Amino acid sequence: MSTSGETSKVLHPLVSKYLRKERMPHMACPGCGIGQVVHATLLAIDELGMTPKDTVWVQGVGCNSRITYSTWVGDNVDAHHGRIFAVATGLKMARPDMNFILFTGDGDCGAIGGNHFIHACRRNLDVTAILFNNGIYGMTGGQVAPTSPFGTVTTTTPYGNLEDPFDMCQLAIAAGASYVARWRSTDFKPLINSIKKGIHTKGLAFIEVLLQCPTNFGRYALKTSRAQDVLKWIKDHTVTQREAKKLPPEDIEGKVLLGEFVYRPDRTGIVERYQAFLKKHMKE
Amino acid sequence: MSSGVKPGRYFVQGDEAIAEGAIAAGCRFFAGYPITPSSETSEAMARRLPEVGGICLQMEDELASIHSVCAASVGGLKAMTISSGPGISLKLEGLGWGIKNEIPVVVVDVQRAGPSNGVATRVGQGDFYTIRYGSAGGNYGLIALSPKSTQEAFDLTIECFNLSEIFRCPVFLLADETVGHTRELLVIPEESELNVVKRIKPTIPPEQFDMYPLDNPEVIYYPFPNIGEGYGICVSPYTHNSKGYASTAQETQEKMARRLVLKVTENLDKLVRVERRYMEDADFAVVAYGGNARPAIAAVDMVREKGMKVGFFRPIIVWPFPDGEILNVAEKVRRILVCELNIDGQLSREVARAARGKSEVYHLGSGGVEPHLPLQIFNEIMRLYQ
Amino acid sequence: MAITIIKDFCKGCGFCIEYCPKKVYEFSGEMNKKGYALPSPVRIEECTECGLCDLYCPDFAILLEKTKKLKGRAAPEKVR
Repeated sequence: MSTSGETSKVLHPLVSKYLRKERMPHMACPGCGIGQVVHATLLAIDELGMTPKDTVWVQGVGCNSRITYSTWVGDNVDAHHGRIFAVATGLKMARPDMNFILFTGDGDCGAIGGNHFIHACRRNLDVTAILFNNGIYGMTGGQVAPTSPFGTVTTTTPYGNLEDPFDMCQLAIAAGASYVARWRSTDFKPLINSIKKGIHTKGLAFIEVLLQCPTNFGRYALKTSRAQDVLKWIKDHTVTQREAKKLPPEDIEGKVLLGEFVYRPDRTGIVERYQAFLKKHMKE
Repeated sequence: MSSGVKPGRYFVQGDEAIAEGAIAAGCRFFAGYPITPSSETSEAMARRLPEVGGICLQMEDELASIHSVCAASVGGLKAMTISSGPGISLKLEGLGWGIKNEIPVVVVDVQRAGPSNGVATRVGQGDFYTIRYGSAGGNYGLIALSPKSTQEAFDLTIECFNLSEIFRCPVFLLADETVGHTRELLVIPEESELNVVKRIKPTIPPEQFDMYPLDNPEVIYYPFPNIGEGYGICVSPYTHNSKGYASTAQETQEKMARRLVLKVTENLDKLVRVERRYMEDADFAVVAYGGNARPAIAAVDMVREKGMKVGFFRPIIVWPFPDGEILNVAEKVRRILVCELNIDGQLSREVARAARGKSEVYHLGSGGVEPHLPLQIFNEIMRLYQ
Repeated sequence: MAITIIKDFCKGCGFCIEYCPKKVYEFSGEMNKKGYALPSPVRIEECTECGLCDLYCPDFAILLEKTKKLKGRAAPEKVR
């Protein structure tokens, strides 16, 4: 095989416009879905006319965050593990005029960050949170996650996971988020539209994305290192709401539902309530 | 917008004075979780902050509080949180984020008897080392001030905010339940008499500005750009270079660690604040801090009446520890008695270290709940005085 | 239609090869500096400019220059 030693002078237009060249190519594994979700996010940002001056990327700890941190050309605020929603609360309350896009993961949102997550939903904090759900803890080497399906083999459940996973979307809905949706990393069009809708929605927009982790979920849970196999597995274990309506129950048994679950744009949240309250109560 | 300063004479608890001090210093974001004996400050902030257009949130726990106040500071607001022992333990993680990213923020610890939940409503002084060394990984200097009265609770809170902006770091107000809950006179001066340091902003364009001056570790009064100001700031819990990009390089780790330590240790001249009484001719010294300084002062007054040459020394800035000043005391006197509300001996350990063997150091400890009585300290001085 | 593979971004995952509905791509036999096997649009004449390769690529390594007019996606909407 011959080696091409040339360094690119051309860049993808989204990279040129929105990402720090010196931080690219990003450090995701080959075949990882994180890049696909970032791509969809950038398309959403681009189509909405948002800019690095008015938009902040907020990260936690996990592959999604490590890979996206300090890639956005605007401000990047990377929080401690699990604290992304608490950090976002401080940021948004201080600068309600700015847009905040949160990248979070299975542990960051569902384990150590679980409490801050549900309270941010309860407060309906006006941010857009994208959960990168790959069913495993990727960055630390493949341990079980609160989103890992029952029976999944991981490095800390070598005999198979004995616990059931969270339905993170149901948690968000129950806690009060204004917009909740779930897609796969390869549901490009609906995912871009959901991110746009989420940004538009006042209140907490929670978009869960099921994505492939070939390195850890692939190898430990599915005994494959091919990302394409993980994508197929995700496809086989998911069904859109629309499809589900047409299928008999036995065909959708055990499958994860995709689609938009909740859209309640009229539900106010802490940000606009506090702004209105201050207008009324401030003494000059 | 109103500065919120309400000049006048008040009869209030130290907890309330802390709130007034914060507002006078320009604090416009407060997040906390109720915890005795600090809740009165949270309640006062909830009443007062909206009056000045500030934001006061009761967060779901201590972690959310510390992380959101650091974030609010990144968002452009002067911010504060408050807790007591068990809550401070929880905040140590977020404190590290604030330290590492050089975020100005004030954290108040109203100490209670410990360990663990201890006696929630009663005094202790067991967090002296916790606040200094408790955050993961070390490699940082820390500034902490400790008030002995309601008036100092007000004054030193303003000083904490000022130092946090000057040094671009979290600063502790190490208070205790005695000060927090004692009601006494607070005089709030006219706004023009207050010295409040404003946040420093960069004057050079973003491409020339280093968010973290790792190559200049001793620099203070360093600018702190916030989100939405066009500087494309990068804030991260990981070791990062001057731009904020995460790095595993040893050189970067070294520079970062040195920056966070030297920032404090190379500017000690700005970080000495002590109280001395009768030290000029003393051959025996009593050392105490915070609310427990009050009975110590009373005891020293009592022995002075007997003609004994006993002096009193109090660190007001407790971290960085006033090594030079303690050494001066140790060279002067034969014995030092440290009175603190813990049994394990924390302040006394620091005094012994800084004394470098020039003086014998004794520890009068107590588990807390009550401050020392003047008579207890008096009796101990009588027992030890030579 | 012009397709450029941005070689030092590519990680040889093979998504473009596998998911292109017209099988435009194949592994080229070349690898980049990091040792990743690079694809090449060998059957570019089959390309319908659907843009799936660009979206599937997780690494922003495919640069498409479309000749046909953009259709299907809405014009940018200002955020609130």
